[in-house]
Amino acid sequence: MLEALLLAALVFVLHRRFAADYPPAPIGLATLHRGEAAFVQSVAEVLFPGGAGLPVAGADAKLPHYLDRHLSALPRRQRLQIRALLLVFEHLTLFVPGDAPGGRRRFSSLSAPSRVAMLERVAEHPLSFVRTLFMALRAVLVLGYLGHPANLCQLGVAPFEIEPATSDAELLFPRVGGLPGSIRYEASDFAAPAGAPGAATRVHPPLDPHGPRHRAYLRAGRDVR
Amino acid sequence: MSVAQDWLDSARERVRVFAQYDGPFEEQADVVVVGSGPCGAVAAYELAAAGKDVVLVEEGPPFTVRDFELDGNLSMTRTMREGGLRMTRGTRMPTMQAIALGGGSLVNSAICVRPPDSVFERWATRFDLERTDRASLDPHFDAISEFLGIAPTPDEVQGPRNLLFRDACRALGLSSEPIARNVRGCRGSGECFTGCRSRAKQSMDVSYVPAALRAGARVMTSLQVQEIRHSGRRATGVSGQVVAPFAHGAAAGAGRRGLSHRFRIDARAVVLAAGCTATPVLLERSGNLANASGQVGENLQFHPGVAIAGVFPEPTDPQFGATQGYQSLAFLDEGFKLETLWAPPPILSIRLPGQGAELVARFGEIPRMAVWDAIASANRSLGRVRARRGSLDPVLDWRLHPDDVTILRRALRVIAELFFAAGAEKILPGVAGLPEVMTDLAQTRRLESDEVRAEGLVMGGNHVFCTTRMHGDPTLGVVDEDGRCHDLDNLYIADTGIFPQCPSVNPMLTGMALARRQARVLADRL
Ligand SMILES: Cc1cc2nc3c(=O)[nH]c(=O)nc-3n(C[C@H](O)[C@H](O)[C@H](O)COP(=O)(O)OP(=O)(O)OC[C@H]3O[C@@H](n4cnc5c(N)ncnc54)[C@H](O)[C@@H]3O)c2cc1C
Ligand code: SF4
Repeated sequence: MLEALLLAALVFVLHRRFAADYPPAPIGLATLHRGEAAFVQSVAEVLFPGGAGLPVAGADAKLPHYLDRHLSALPRRQRLQIRALLLVFEHLTLFVPGDAPGGRRRFSSLSAPSRVAMLERVAEHPLSFVRTLFMALRAVLVLGYLGHPANLCQLGVAPFEIEPATSDAELLFPRVGGLPGSIRYEASDFAAPAGAPGAATRVHPPLDPHGPRHRAYLRAGRDVR
Repeated sequence: MSVAQDWLDSARERVRVFAQYDGPFEEQADVVVVGSGPCGAVAAYELAAAGKDVVLVEEGPPFTVRDFELDGNLSMTRTMREGGLRMTRGTRMPTMQAIALGGGSLVNSAICVRPPDSVFERWATRFDLERTDRASLDPHFDAISEFLGIAPTPDEVQGPRNLLFRDACRALGLSSEPIARNVRGCRGSGECFTGCRSRAKQSMDVSYVPAALRAGARVMTSLQVQEIRHSGRRATGVSGQVVAPFAHGAAAGAGRRGLSHRFRIDARAVVLAAGCTATPVLLERSGNLANASGQVGENLQFHPGVAIAGVFPEPTDPQFGATQGYQSLAFLDEGFKLETLWAPPPILSIRLPGQGAELVARFGEIPRMAVWDAIASANRSLGRVRARRGSLDPVLDWRLHPDDVTILRRALRVIAELFFAAGAEKILPGVAGLPEVMTDLAQTRRLESDEVRAEGLVMGGNHVFCTTRMHGDPTLGVVDEDGRCHDLDNLYIADTGIFPQCPSVNPMLTGMALARRQARVLADRL
């Protein structure tokens, strides 16, 4: 009886420490659970502060949604590896609280200054293994943050607006997942097949380095402003 | 109906995509080619053009322009094995292999370089090869170059970040040249990595695969070959399962790992062109086939690459310009090749130092950046490929040799000197243990010192070789000079795994030239 009570108490404490009291997950997540989303958001806020030169701050870059999309598309093993990273760094501060005020709490429950201090500690950790893990976590977030269309547009490095070309591939193959009947092109759409010996060279003018950027990126950039 | 429309209708009939498979099936052919990367596509075309009945099998789907994903990271989850997150063990290094019709050619930078004579001389003397010299391969290089429109990158599409490299080389008295690429009408969008929306890049899906179809081949995509069937000294065909596109994602349906209907293709000869990391796994999974020498999966080599970002006082408009437009072969004898490089900015920025406001400010420097890299002929750094348990994914064990660390240190220093010669205000070497930012030439000496350790280098290795190496002696290699397995009469390997050593320059063109030669020999033998 006593053992059962102790076990229940342990489960309760672990649950409080590890899983309870997270805010509800943002709407629209398929893979990430609310604890992971809270962690990602809490790192993004301090890793990419607002007012530092880019239009979208980490807090507003919807990184949980980006990571959710990424994880959903990854093979199981890589998905598990990234989730393990999130788990480790969210709970590391329960065991290694550092000297930041606030004591043993999950990373996402720490104050912003404590989170900054913690990130600095792991980034400069004497063990290269810890640094490497942190770099992996940081990489995942940089991809989402800098990849935000508004940030890329502001930097002038968003993809160019390019009218999709038609090659033999577009004539021969349907879009991924489609049936051949869905191919919209006829032979007359493409007069100079590439690859054939002696084929005429199609001449595209070089892009204007300052020319228009992809409309989806521009739209997303405008929506932010 | 026009001739072109006739051709198109008949070619479409010979293509199979995922949505068309509705049950188990069997096919027969003269030759089944496994893998549609540069080597497999060339082999399939040559064999079909010689009048053979060819089936080209590819695990990935064909991509149309509208299937390209512009976000580099999300794009990798669709075009790359293991979502682009594949790593070597031992010395940790990311390495990417594509899964798509066209293989690596869909996502690569289209660099086409012929190795110098010295590479072939080394191959000939150390690996008992008699006909694999530059003169014997030149006709194949020429034919492929003509077919794919391989030509030096013109200045109009270089953009500042490539031309600054040229100027830097001139300033230091080093030779340099515009990179020859398999492109027709490049527009300088710098997005080769996520797929060429202008279809200027002559990746295999727009060049050799359609040409193979034109010559009568059948192309079956979304088929995962799982076994090479054989009896005694003869391969009898291949078998496997239909696999859903992007099957590895959580969203994929169609059963475990997206696998569904079984298939079998019987053939008079089998050409394995699944790539250097996949072919040895297939042989291992087929009962340790073709491995009397014990060399299958051994001798793994890479061209490990290192890169430095430089920041200039003026904008470099980095998004514009051929993805990789300029190179220098001045240090080939010392063991490295220098190139310019671009990729989606978020991917390049993973390595930028700092955090918080400092990191965000660093992102603000991207419009003034250029990135230059070096790839090393690391033929002392060896490893091996084995099948991962319960999967066709490989485990890649590889270790960077101390001599090759020395080469990479030297390369880093040269890149740094080039940046300052071109007028960069600072460089970001990205080497653990060294300053994150260097602002003058004197500091660059540290890049060539012992302070740079193997584990502190940020490397990438997308050129992979030697896991089924060619050797004149059947006890020391897997295939002979014609790509035929020493142990079987009709099993051929045509991918970069047959290189006896790393080629010192970008490998695609050499792989294609060897595949063309092999396919012609095989066609004569059938
Ligand atoms: C990002 C990147 C950039 C690069 N840039 C350059 C460059 O500019 N120039 C250059 O020379 N090289 C470059 N490379 C390297 C070059 O792309 C490869 O060396 C080349 O693609 C190798 O050709 P391959 O035919 O041997 O194999 P791959 O291109 O890997 O093709 C193998 C094919 O086999 C398929 N396959 C594998 N297993 C199976 C199976 N079980 N069943 C059915 N199909 C299977 C794969 O899906 C793949 O399509 C680059 C590589 C990468 C990743
Ligand atoms: S730089 Fe752009 S236009 Fe040129 S080949 Fe690459 S993707 Fe195509």
